[in-house]
Amino acid sequence: MNPLALMTKSDIVFVGIAIMLLPWLYIAFWGDGNSGELARIQVGKQTPVLISLQTAQRYTFAGPLGNSIIEVKDGRIRFISSPCKGKQCIHSGWLSKNGDFAACLPNLMSITVSGHHPRFDSINF
Amino acid sequence: MPTPKPIQFHTTPDDHRIAALAALAIGIHIIEAALPSPIPGVKPGLANVITLFVLFRYGWKDAAWVSLLRVLAGSLLIGSFLTPTFMLSLSGACASLAALGLLCRLNTHLPGQGLGAVGFSLIAAISHMTAQLVVARYLIIPHDGLFHLLPVLMTAAVIFGIVSGLITQSLLNHLDQQSA
Repeated sequence: MNPLALMTKSDIVFVGIAIMLLPWLYIAFWGDGNSGELARIQVGKQTPVLISLQTAQRYTFAGPLGNSIIEVKDGRIRFISSPCKGKQCIHSGWLSKNGDFAACLPNLMSITVSGHHPRFDSINF
Repeated sequence: MPTPKPIQFHTTPDDHRIAALAALAIGIHIIEAALPSPIPGVKPGLANVITLFVLFRYGWKDAAWVSLLRVLAGSLLIGSFLTPTFMLSLSGACASLAALGLLCRLNTHLPGQGLGAVGFSLIAAISHMTAQLVVARYLIIPHDGLFHLLPVLMTAAVIFGIVSGLITQSLLNHLDQQSA
């Protein structure tokens, strides 16, 4: 039995439109619509500093152990140097998406990337 | 003491036909409810073949009767009457009936033969799924995260909508051949 023989021309057009719109649904709902725009840097108990991810720049923040250097480039942000022991913060690598997070606990610093709407209220580990 | 008069229902042949077709739909509905589903909310919805068949053969009013009776009696038999499942089922049925009614009016304006069973089934399945998801969002899981399921659910709706439509169309053709 030929399925096409069971459809009228309008049917085929409608089926075609529906099948073509499905990938769009996947892109719209699952796609990478979560790129971050701002990074919030928290150092100790100081007021958080907001920096834009649009301008490439290096920032130096002073923590209890010494200076940590943070780099912003191409809409991404990362720790590039830190006086801590484990270097977990540097190994976190580039952060770019809304909700991405990296911290240097020994030096009391954290970076949280956020977009227009914060993706998470809070995160527990 | 006078014996109470027995209550008499006057039924027409139309009523009998609707009852028989609704019974058929209820049977399919219950068999389907017993089938395990890999993803919650994804069901072939083959009972809609009956709704579509009735729509093409006897018109929208009969289709609405069959569809709503199926939702009501099916839920009573499964034991899901007035549960969230029933709400979803009912909202889906109402939305697809509304879409089918609209489509019946529009179809005469389409070029050529217009839509056949496949097009009707596809649109009914999509509106069924959309209404269910919106009702689920506002009544059952009030969180926008639910819409992350939309792509998967819509894929299932499109596939099963097309399959049901093909089954309906071949059923209609088959019966036309027999009666001819």
